[in-house]
Amino acid sequence: MADPLTSSTTPAAMTGIPTSRAPASTLPDGYGPRSRWLDRRLPVISLLRREYVVYPTPRNLNYLWNFGALATVALAMLILTGIFLAIAYTPTAAGAFASVEAIDRQVGSGWVIRSTHMAGASMVFAALYVHTFRSLYYGSYKEPREVLWLTGMLLLVMMMVTAFAGYVLPWGQMSYWGASVVSGAISSLPGIGHPLAVWLQGGDTIGDVTLHRYYALHFVLGFLILGAVVLHVVALHVTGSSNPLGIEVKGPQDTLPFHPYYTSKDAIGVVLFLIAFAVLVFYLPGWLTQPDNYIEANPYSTPADITPEWYFAPFYAVLRAVPSQLGGLLLSAGSVLVLFAVPWLDTSPVHSARFRPLYRIAMMLLVVAFLLLLACGLHRPAGIWLALSRIATLYWFLHFLVLLPLLGGIETPLKLPDSIGRPVLPPRQATISTAGAGLPMPDGAMAQRMEND
Amino acid sequence: MAVQTDPQTAGPAPSGPDFSGPDFSGHDSHGHHPESGPRRDFLTLLTGAAAVIGAGAFAFPFLDSLAPVGGPDAADATVDVDLSKIAPGQQIVVVWRGKPVFVVHRTPKALLGLQDTNLTDRLRDWASRERQQPDYVVNWHRSIAPEYGVMVGICTHLGCVPGYVPNPSATDPVANWPGGYACPCHGSKFDLAGRVFQGAPAQYNLPVPPYSMPTRSSLRIGLSPDDLDFDFSTIRQL
Amino acid sequence: MRPPTHLACKSFLAAGVLAALLGGRAEAQQLQALPVPPQDWSFRGATGRFDYASVQRGFAVYSQVCASCHSLRQMTYGDLSSLGLDADQLHDIAASQPVPAGTDAAGNVVLRAATPGDHFRLPYANEAAARAANAGALPPDQSRLAGTIQGGPSFIQAYLTGFRDTPSSVTLGPGMHYNIYVPGNAIAMPDVLHDAHVRYTDGTRATTPQMAHDVSNFLAWVAQPHLEERHRLGIRVLVYLTLLLVLVAVLKRRVWASVRI
Repeated sequence: MADPLTSSTTPAAMTGIPTSRAPASTLPDGYGPRSRWLDRRLPVISLLRREYVVYPTPRNLNYLWNFGALATVALAMLILTGIFLAIAYTPTAAGAFASVEAIDRQVGSGWVIRSTHMAGASMVFAALYVHTFRSLYYGSYKEPREVLWLTGMLLLVMMMVTAFAGYVLPWGQMSYWGASVVSGAISSLPGIGHPLAVWLQGGDTIGDVTLHRYYALHFVLGFLILGAVVLHVVALHVTGSSNPLGIEVKGPQDTLPFHPYYTSKDAIGVVLFLIAFAVLVFYLPGWLTQPDNYIEANPYSTPADITPEWYFAPFYAVLRAVPSQLGGLLLSAGSVLVLFAVPWLDTSPVHSARFRPLYRIAMMLLVVAFLLLLACGLHRPAGIWLALSRIATLYWFLHFLVLLPLLGGIETPLKLPDSIGRPVLPPRQATISTAGAGLPMPDGAMAQRMEND
Repeated sequence: MAVQTDPQTAGPAPSGPDFSGPDFSGHDSHGHHPESGPRRDFLTLLTGAAAVIGAGAFAFPFLDSLAPVGGPDAADATVDVDLSKIAPGQQIVVVWRGKPVFVVHRTPKALLGLQDTNLTDRLRDWASRERQQPDYVVNWHRSIAPEYGVMVGICTHLGCVPGYVPNPSATDPVANWPGGYACPCHGSKFDLAGRVFQGAPAQYNLPVPPYSMPTRSSLRIGLSPDDLDFDFSTIRQL
Repeated sequence: MRPPTHLACKSFLAAGVLAALLGGRAEAQQLQALPVPPQDWSFRGATGRFDYASVQRGFAVYSQVCASCHSLRQMTYGDLSSLGLDADQLHDIAASQPVPAGTDAAGNVVLRAATPGDHFRLPYANEAAARAANAGALPPDQSRLAGTIQGGPSFIQAYLTGFRDTPSSVTLGPGMHYNIYVPGNAIAMPDVLHDAHVRYTDGTRATTPQMAHDVSNFLAWVAQPHLEERHRLGIRVLVYLTLLLVLVAVLKRRVWASVRI
C-alpha cells in the first residue's frame, strides 16, 4: 500500500486539484498537508476546531459555567480508575470483599486508584449539583434549551443509578444493607413491586446473582453516561451556551472564541477542582464514607445506622419525611422527576434570576432547602431533623409545582439589557437607555453593570 | 471581573498583525486569537509542559496496578510421588509449580528403543546438548533411574500439553512411530524420554525438572539429589 | 473515630481511679462504659507518621497473643515489609506458619510452610469452629478493626487495659468478663495481656499498658497500611497542582487582559 500521507503531498494535492472523491478541506490557512489529508477524509480536526476552538461563546460567562467541565473531568477520572479497578475486582459474593481489600493492600498503587474512584463519586455529584442549581438560577433550561436540560437530568439520574450500583460492589455491610433497603423500597410498590425486586436481584434474597447484576449494571452505565454526555454536549452546541444575563447572543460582539478564552478559564476551575479532589483522596479518605463498609457483608446482622452517601442524603431525607412507606418512595422519586418538568413549569419568559426579584429569593430558598435536606438525610429522622426535613420537602415541591408557574404571572422583571457585548443600538442612543448617565459608556460596561447588580 | 478601560472605543476593532485584543468582528470565522506574543508563547509552552508531566505522573499508578501481585511463592515447593503405584507402560501427571509433570514408567522394550540409532537419527538433540534438563540427567534416558522418565509436560513450541501415545505404530500418529508424546496443537512429536523429533515445529526437548529419588520407589520433584543443584529457571525453553 | 474530647480524665491512672470510684456506686452506673481516655497517636493529622518501633512490637503482641483467636484475613506476610522488615525476616516469619497447600493423593489436606505471598494463617478453619472454641462468641477479624470499631485505636488500647475483677454487685453471664470500657461492662473475651507475657526483642519492658499501646498502634497500621505513603504523595500532588494553578492563572489573566467585561 502506498503511503497515503506522502501521496497527499504530491504537487497535485498541493495545488488543490482534486485527486480523490474526498471533499476539499475546510481548514483555514496554517494547517499542514497531513492535517488537510486527514480532515478531508474524516473531519475531526475541523470538528474540534469548530466546536472547541473558534466556537463562539457568550463573553460574560462566570465561573459557575465551569461546573459542566468539572463534572466531565470527574467522570473521566471515574471511568479511568473504574476500568483498572474492574481488572482487579472479583464480582462474587464470596470474593468481592477480599478482592477490594487486595486492591487496597496488595495491588500496586491500588489504594490510590480506589481512593480516587471513591472520592470521584463525591466530586462528580458535587459538580453536578452546582451545575444543576446554576441552570435553575439562570434559567438555562428555557427555550431553546429544553432538550439540553432533559439530557442533563437524564445524566443526573443515570449517575445516581450508577453510584448506587457501584456502592454495592465492595460487598461491605453498607453495600449489602443499602442494596437491601432499595430492594425493600421497590418491593413496597403495589402490584409490580415484589416481582420487580425479585427480577432485579435475581432471586428472593440479595446474593451472588444480585452482585453480578449490579456489577454489569455499574460497568455498562459508566459508558452509557459517556454517551449521554456526548448528547448533552451536542445539544449544547446546537443552541450555544446560556449566560448570566439570560439574553441570547445577538452577534459576534457578544461572544469570544472558546479557545483561548474559555479553555483558560476552565483550566483554572479544573485545577482548583483537582486540588479539592486531591485533598479528599489523600487527606480525607474516610470523611465522606462509612467505616462500616470495611466490615464484610453479613446478611444476618444489620449495622446500627444505615446512612446513605451524602449525595443521596437529600432524597433519602424526603423518603423519610413522610410516615407512609409508599408515600415516601413516591415523594422521593418525585423530587427528582419534578426537575424534568421544570422547562414547562416555569412560565416566565425572563431567563436569569438576576432580573427576577421574586424568583431570585425563591431560588435561594430552594438551595437552602436542598442543603437542609442533605443534613437531614445524614441524621436520624426524629425531633428537629424530622421537622426540618418536612419543611424542606414541602418547600421543594412548593417551589417547583406552585411558585414556578405562578411567579411568571405576578412578578415584574427588571429591565433586561439590550445585548451581552455592546448595545445593539449605536452607543450614543444606548446611553439614553441607561437612565441618567450622560457620558458615553465604555464598550461592554452596561452589561457589566447589570452583572454586578 | 472588573470593568477594564481600553484605548479602543466603540467602533470596529482594528485587526492586523500587531493585534493585541480580541477581534470581535471576525474571530469566530478565522480562529484568530491574541496569544501570539513571544512571552505568551513561552508561558503556554510551560503550562502545557507542566500539564503533560502531570499526566505522565498520573499514568504511573495505573501501570503499577497491572504489575503481578506476588501470590504464594511456590519456588521451594516439592511434590512427592509414589512410584510403586505406576505400572510399567503407565504414565501419571503430577502438578509441580502449577505445571504438569509427566512421570512415566518405561518398559524394558521402550528403554531398548530409546537407544536405537534408527530413533536417535530422527531426533534433533538426542544427546541432550541444549540445557533443557539438570546435568545429572544428561544421559541416554534423561532421568536418574532409566525406567522412570520425569519431564515437564509442556510442548516447547507454543506451550500445549502433549498427549501420551506409548504404543509403537506403523502409521499413527506418523509413519514408523516408536511410541512417545504427540502434541495436539501443531503436531510436535517427542520420544518417551521427551526428546523432540525432527520435522516438527518444536525445537527443544521437553524440560526435565530438578528431582531426586529418596528411595528406589519414590520421587521428590523440585529437589535435586544431595550435593547437586539445579535452577529450573535457567533452562533454554519452556 | 476521633476520641471524645469532653473527658474529665486525662490518663489511664485517672480512668482507673474513676472506675474504682464508680465501682462503689449503683449498678445502673456500673453498666455504663467509661469514656475512652484520649490518646495522642503519632499517625494523627496531615503529616502523621507511624511509630514503627511500636508497630513492630505490636506485631509481636498480635502474633503471640491475639493471633490464637483473631484472624488478620486480608494481610499477607509480605505486607509486613513496609514495617521495615527485610526479605529474610519476612521469609522466616512466614515459614513458621503452616498453611493449607491442596490435598495429597488420598484427598487429605496437606500443609506447607507459608511464603511472603501467602495471607496470614487463620486461627480457625471456619466461623462455626471459631464459635465452638469461644463459647459461641466470634472473635472479629482484625484487618480493619481499628477503623470500624467505635473509638478506634484509643478504644482498643483502653479496652485491653480495662479488665477488672467483677464487682460483687454485678452478675455476669456465663463466659463473660468484666471490662469498664465496653457497653454493658461485659465481654466474652478474657483479659489476655499480663506483664511480661510477650518477649520484646528491643529491650522494651512488656508491661500491660505498653503491650496494649503497641498492639493498638499495630492494628491502626493494619487498618491503614498506606497512611504515610498517602500523606507523602498528597503533599507532592498538592504542590504540583498549586504550581500549575499559578501558571494557569497567569495564562488566563494574559488571555483575558484585553477583554472588556
